[in-house]
Amino acid sequence: MRKTKNNTGRGKTRRDNIRGYAFLAPWLFGFLGFTVFPLFYTFYLSFNEVKMTVLGWETKFIGIENYASALLRNIEFTPALVNFALMEIIYTPAIVLISFILAILLNQKIKFRASFRVIFFLPVIVMSGSVMHQLMDTGSTEIVWVGQIFIFKIIYSYSPLLARIIEILFQNFSILLWFTGIPIVLFINGLQKIDRSLYEAAQIDGSSSWQSFWKITIPIIRPIALVTTFFTIVQLGVFPINPVNSMIQDAIYNTAGGLGLASAYAYVYSLVMGVIILAAFLLLKEREEVTTTIKGKKKKKEEDFLYE
Amino acid sequence: MNKNGKNKIKQKFNKRLFLHRLRYKFIGYNVVDGIGSRIVSYIILIAISYIFFYPLLKMASMSLMSPNDIINPEVDWIPEKISFRNFMAAWYVLGMPKTLFNSIWYSGTLALFQTIVSATTGFAFARYQFKFKNFWFTMVLISFIIPLPIVIIPRIMLFTSLQSSTGIQLIGTIIPQLVLTMFGQGINSAILILIFYNFFRMIPKSLDEAAHIDGATAFQVFWHIIIKLSVPTIVTVFLFSFVWNWNETYVTGTFLRGAIKLLPMQLANFDNVFSDLASQIPGQGGDNRINEAYKMAATFISIIPLLITYAFAQKQFIEGIENTGIKD
Repeated sequence: MRKTKNNTGRGKTRRDNIRGYAFLAPWLFGFLGFTVFPLFYTFYLSFNEVKMTVLGWETKFIGIENYASALLRNIEFTPALVNFALMEIIYTPAIVLISFILAILLNQKIKFRASFRVIFFLPVIVMSGSVMHQLMDTGSTEIVWVGQIFIFKIIYSYSPLLARIIEILFQNFSILLWFTGIPIVLFINGLQKIDRSLYEAAQIDGSSSWQSFWKITIPIIRPIALVTTFFTIVQLGVFPINPVNSMIQDAIYNTAGGLGLASAYAYVYSLVMGVIILAAFLLLKEREEVTTTIKGKKKKKEEDFLYE
Repeated sequence: MNKNGKNKIKQKFNKRLFLHRLRYKFIGYNVVDGIGSRIVSYIILIAISYIFFYPLLKMASMSLMSPNDIINPEVDWIPEKISFRNFMAAWYVLGMPKTLFNSIWYSGTLALFQTIVSATTGFAFARYQFKFKNFWFTMVLISFIIPLPIVIIPRIMLFTSLQSSTGIQLIGTIIPQLVLTMFGQGINSAILILIFYNFFRMIPKSLDEAAHIDGATAFQVFWHIIIKLSVPTIVTVFLFSFVWNWNETYVTGTFLRGAIKLLPMQLANFDNVFSDLASQIPGQGGDNRINEAYKMAATFISIIPLLITYAFAQKQFIEGIENTGIKD
C-alpha cells in the first residue's frame, strides 16, 4: 500500500481519487447538504403543515392539501404561473434569436465592434431585480405604445392572439434586450470558432451562402443555442418580471399559509420550469438523422458538449 | 464597339459579383467589404444600441426633472430646469454613504469566498480523474438549472433552527449566505466553476508533474503554480461574483430581512422608506410626495458603483464569459 507515489497504474488512480475528492469536498458537501437534501425535503414539506413552535419546526402530514390550496383555492397562483409560462415561451425564442442575429452582425469586420459589444454587455452588470423593478415602474422601459401603431391595429383585427404576442414582446422590449448580453458573447465566441475553410470548401462545391448558413453555421451553432436557451430560461425565472417568485417569497413570510404551502408553490413552479427546459432540449438537441450516420462522432460530440 | 461590349459584360459581371458578396456578408462569411450590407448592419446595431440604452437615458433625464416637468406632457427628454434636489433626497433616503459601504463589504466578502471555492472545484475537475467525475460535473451544470425557490425553504429552516438551538444570531447577518457560498452554493456558482475549469485545463500538466517529482504536495501545486498563473482569471471571477452578489436580492432579502441595509435592497424598498422619511428629507420643505424623478435618481445612484466597475473592467467581464468554454 506504500505504492501511492507511483506515477502509473493503480497508484495514480488512487492518488487522483484522493486528491480530486479533497479539492471537490467543499462543493460536494454544499451540493449534497444545501441543494440535494433541500430538493427532497421541500417535496416532503409540501405534503405537510409546517409550523414554527418554541421547540423548533413542527410538521404535520396533511396529504395533498397544500397542492389543493395552491392550485384550486388560491385564485392568484395559477394565473401567475400561466403568465410566467407564456412569458418564457414568448421571450426565450425572441431573446435567443435576437442575440444570434446581433452576434452575426458583430462578427463582421465593422468599426466600433468592441464598443457595440461593451454596450450590449452593460445590462449584465447593472441589471438587478430592484433596478429593473424601478425602471419598469416608472415606465422607462416602454419605448412605444404598440397598441397605437396603425399596423398593430391591422394585425389585431386579423388575429388577436398574434397581436397579443407582439404586444407582450414590445411592451418591455428594452428589458427583453437586456437579457441578450451573455448570449451574444457566447454566440460570437461560437461563430469565431467555426473553421473558415469549411465555408471555402462549400463555396467551391457550389454552395450558396444561404445553403452554407443552414448546412454549416446552424448545425455547428446548435449546441451553443441550446446552452443559451437554458441560460435564458433560468435568467427569466430569476428576475422580478417573474410573478411567481414574489408569490413564493410572500408565502414564505406569511405565517398563516406556512412553509408547507410555499413548498407546494415551489414544486409546482419547478415542475413548470422543468417542462419548459425539457421542451427546449427536445427542440434543440441534435437531430437523429444527422448524427446516426457518423456514429462514432455522435458520442464524442455529446461528450464534448457535457464537458466543455 | 467590340471594346464597348466587353466593358458592358465586365460591368454586368461586377454587379453580380457585388450582389454575391453582399449575400455572403450577411451570412457572416466575410469575403470582402460590401458597403450596402455594412450600412444596414450599422443601422441595426445603432438602433438596437439605442433601445439598450433607452431605459438608462430615460432614467438619467427623469432624475433631473422637477415635479412640474414630470407632469408636463411637453417635456419629453430635456427638463425645463435642471434640478439636483432629487439626488439629494434620494441620497438621504437610500442612507448613503453607509449603504454603499455595506454593499461593498458584503458583496466583497461573499465574492472572495465564492472565488476560492470555485477555484478548488474547478481545479478538481480540470486536474484529477476521480471516480464519478463525469457524474459530478453534470451535477454542477444541473445545479445551475435548479430553481432557487425549491431549495431555499429548507435552507431557511436550517438556519432558523440553528439560530434558536445555539443562540447565535444568524438571520440578519452575513453568516447564512457566507456558509452557502463557502460550500459552493452561491449565486451562479456553476458559471464561475466553468470559467476556472476551462482555464486550468489549459495549464500544461507537465508543470504539476515536475513539482510533484520535486516533492510538492497537491495543495502546494495548486497554491504555488496554478494560482500564481491564473491571476487574471481570478480577477475576472471575483469581479463577476462581486457584481452578481451585489445585484442579488432574492436570497439576500430572505436571510437579511433588512437588518443590514444594502444598496439594491434599499432601492427595492425605496417607496416605503421614502414615505417614512418624507418629512425629514433635508432641503425639501417637508412636503414630499414620491414621484418618478426621485425613484430614477435613486436608481441612478445605486448603479453608479457598477458603472464605474464596468468602465474599468469591461474587458475582463466579456472575456470571462467567453471563457465559460461552451465552445464545441
